[in-house]
Amino acid sequence: MPNSPAPHTTIPGPCTVVCLHFLGGSAREWEPVAALLDGVARIVALDLPGFGDAAAVSGYSVAAMADHVAAGIAAADPGGRWYLAGHSMGAKVALALARRAEDGAPDLAGLAGLVLLGGSPPSPEPMSDDKRREMMEWISADAETRRRKAGEFVDQNTGSPLGEPLRTRAVEDVLRASPAAWTAWLRDGSREDWSRRIGILRMPAVVVGGTEDADLGTAAQKALTLPHLAHGRLVALDGAGHLLPLERPEAVASLIAGLASEEPLLKSEAPTVPEPYRALIESDRVNTRLRAALLARAEPDGSADRPVYLDPVELAQLRAVVDRVLPQDGTGRIDIAAQIEARLAAGTGDGWRFAKLPADGAAYRAALRTLDAAARSVHATGFLCLDGGEQDAFLQAAAAGEPLSHEVPVDGLDAEEMTLWFEDLRSDAVRIYLAHPASLARIGFSGIGAGGDDAETLPGFVRVGIGDPEPWESSALQKSSTLGETGR
Amino acid sequence: MKLDAMRRYATTDIVDVVVIGTGAGGAPVLARLAAAGLKVVALEAGPNFDPARFAFDETLADEIYWTEERLSGGSTPEAFGANNSGTGVGGSTLHWGAFTPRADERDLRLHSETGMGVDWPLGYDDLRPFYERVEAFIGVSGPSQYPWDPGRRYPLSPVPRNGPAQVMGQACDRLGIRTADSPAAVVSGDFPQEGGALRRGCINCGYCHQGCRNGAKTSMDVTYLPHAVSNGAEIRPDCRVHGIDRDSEGRITSVIYRHDGVDHRQRCAAVYLCAGAVETPRLLLHLGLANGSGQVGRNYMGHVATQVWGTFEAEMRMNRGYPSSLISEDMVRPDDADFAGGYLMQSLGVLPVTWGNSVARGRGLWGRALTEHLNRYNHMAGIGINGETLPCDANVLVLADEVDAFGMRKARIDFGYSSNEDRLNAHATRTMTAIWEAAGATDIWVLERVAHTIGTCRMGRSGDSAVVDPHGRSFEISNLWISDGSTFPSSLAANPALTIMALALRSAEAFLGHPS
Repeated sequence: MPNSPAPHTTIPGPCTVVCLHFLGGSAREWEPVAALLDGVARIVALDLPGFGDAAAVSGYSVAAMADHVAAGIAAADPGGRWYLAGHSMGAKVALALARRAEDGAPDLAGLAGLVLLGGSPPSPEPMSDDKRREMMEWISADAETRRRKAGEFVDQNTGSPLGEPLRTRAVEDVLRASPAAWTAWLRDGSREDWSRRIGILRMPAVVVGGTEDADLGTAAQKALTLPHLAHGRLVALDGAGHLLPLERPEAVASLIAGLASEEPLLKSEAPTVPEPYRALIESDRVNTRLRAALLARAEPDGSADRPVYLDPVELAQLRAVVDRVLPQDGTGRIDIAAQIEARLAAGTGDGWRFAKLPADGAAYRAALRTLDAAARSVHATGFLCLDGGEQDAFLQAAAAGEPLSHEVPVDGLDAEEMTLWFEDLRSDAVRIYLAHPASLARIGFSGIGAGGDDAETLPGFVRVGIGDPEPWESSALQKSSTLGETGR
Repeated sequence: MKLDAMRRYATTDIVDVVVIGTGAGGAPVLARLAAAGLKVVALEAGPNFDPARFAFDETLADEIYWTEERLSGGSTPEAFGANNSGTGVGGSTLHWGAFTPRADERDLRLHSETGMGVDWPLGYDDLRPFYERVEAFIGVSGPSQYPWDPGRRYPLSPVPRNGPAQVMGQACDRLGIRTADSPAAVVSGDFPQEGGALRRGCINCGYCHQGCRNGAKTSMDVTYLPHAVSNGAEIRPDCRVHGIDRDSEGRITSVIYRHDGVDHRQRCAAVYLCAGAVETPRLLLHLGLANGSGQVGRNYMGHVATQVWGTFEAEMRMNRGYPSSLISEDMVRPDDADFAGGYLMQSLGVLPVTWGNSVARGRGLWGRALTEHLNRYNHMAGIGINGETLPCDANVLVLADEVDAFGMRKARIDFGYSSNEDRLNAHATRTMTAIWEAAGATDIWVLERVAHTIGTCRMGRSGDSAVVDPHGRSFEISNLWISDGSTFPSSLAANPALTIMALALRSAEAFLGHPS
């Protein structure tokens, strides 16, 4: 087939879902899902270059595959609001397209959400060199070996054996794949690092992993893909392996339908400033410069989705650490990690650093690497996949100057450096937390009301003694002026 | 401050003196020399602020702190930035706490008394007239009777005691520890500033460390600097000195500074270097200047500044009022001391970000324990000390390998306590803990902390062992003078700024050829 991909399966429906298959699959892996969504969504399943009916098409890099799909999407005319589902290799292509869409590519306008199934992450895919080599060897072997190995490949990637005719068709798809495309993905495409290019996407996304998927199951999704999705939700399919659309078409169809029915998310939620405190901020006891600063801090953080210094995975790790250091109750949250990241990117500091630590940014990255390496060494999974108690144990070790695990990564921090870094982190976090008006209200702080704009007539405080609040202090801080629910 | 109508000099004019830095060391010199009719130009690295813009906010106050990075090493690494280092016309006095005890007479001859530390090359009687001049000029509020120096009189009545001061005072009474209203360079009522504008009385806002909005707190930009400008001094903000020219005899002939990315040369007959105990030695080391003694950068000192915190049943609302409104000098020489020197105690009210930073960084709280503790902010009160630090070979400022945006190597400061500081600290911690126990505080905890920047260009009687003479003049370069905390041979228990101002006036008199 020439370079004009045609939609393989088209079902009319109220919204379009463009579907991209896994390595060795083809558009027809989506047929069971499409059948279930008949009348709910129009499924446009595309063959990627080198696979299925596009076996003769070349261009195997992630960018080239994305170009190919973009052309297919344009040809399919998906309408005003559409979705992209990617499976494994197809998920990485979907992420690349989502970045283009959020950057304003006109041919991808209307992309409103992602469903990523056992997705290959933006960063190089975790896979052993042995496994890579073996897969590259047999794809070009003799016909009998190819057929045997293709069967093993399908069986190894399912939680329980596929029924017929699905298994036979899956094996056929592997065999009709272009060996060049197959090898190119294993050698290059799966190892392309798109982490910084993809950054953090704002569109809603459902990230799905099979609990029996060794390399790209829920742990890998949580550690490597979810950090790229500001509004991502992780779903584990119990007992499923890697071939999710074939193994669990009902679950996959239901997740697609669910995402398509959600309203688009635009803003992160910020903590609520209680009404009496907001009234104080708006009053003439607060000067104009401070009022503007407090109201700006009360807005959701606009830079949260565009990390510059840290990559999205590092930012997610930092968020996880900050969540342990400064747990925030209630609905909204101050994105403290994003503000730390912004400071690291700007290169501004507070006038000093421990001589034993490298520059702030380098120290943060090395510390996060150290925590993640310790998690992998002790728990065989990333720091992001640990529960709060497990994360706390590492932070307690850091605070106490104890080694986090037996081996420190060469580009990590030793125990003493981790102690110093953790001290810096606590400081950075608490200073950002207490700059926020919701936090000031929570602790019952009245100092912002010391006076308005006229420096000649500042009211300040008349009462400064023990247990002697001024009347306006009591009314602005109704809920927060006692020891409160935490008691003593 | 208003600079639009000041006299201006051309860089080609040979002015009598260039003053580098406009803080507590530079501003009194500038004012005194200008009043004597000298042509003087001050170069200030930071901007010129209108105090009315200060906004009652800790984060917005970052603009008045020196936030260029320094490297802190040693066994008790010291925090800089907001902790002790300022920028802008007025220097660190924009953010200082305005706590103005005088040096104790005994601290100036500590070696004679104890065999430890050093004696200063001057005595209390040399300083007292300058203390009195400074206190009268800047408007120090204080008690009518100072328990530890009955003859002393303060020009203004004290500022009110806030919650922490009240509770500390009651507890000290019970324990037989004498206390008094603090000497504070905060005018307790409207104050006509000599050479400047009317300064409004303190409004008890509690934001001394974030820049005073109405001039109640003494900072150089509302006291000595307007006086200097009214007598013909020029102040150039945003001018960062990074070089000098010298003649064949080694005398300085011009100062090189960068303004808006462009280098300028101000010709001059003499230089006063007043950039503080970090930037002054850093510039000298950078230029390889005035260091025949090998003493530049040596004997760096921060004060032992431990604090003890407690939680009280009653509301303290410690953000209100002058933050350190109670003092005790009873521990300047405690009877049971097992250390040389001593310490001052003060009550503490601290604003949320600074306090939260102490809780998270110093106390080490995190997680739910941290947020729950922060929620009790209005029930907290603290006591802090300012304790003697002896000069020590291990405590030294050097140039690091990393460079700043000007291509100058960053300062690396190693500081650590020796056994004398450790013993003093243990005594102070016991004392403060006992006070808070007597006050009925719960959840009492200790914050280890180092404050101030002192030493590195010590004064002495010989160029073999000191950088400057007892009047601040370089032994090596006859037209180079230093006036700031770097010249202190030892730390003293007292907070340094008042003594820096007194020494500045004394130095200026010597410069003018007036014997004192």
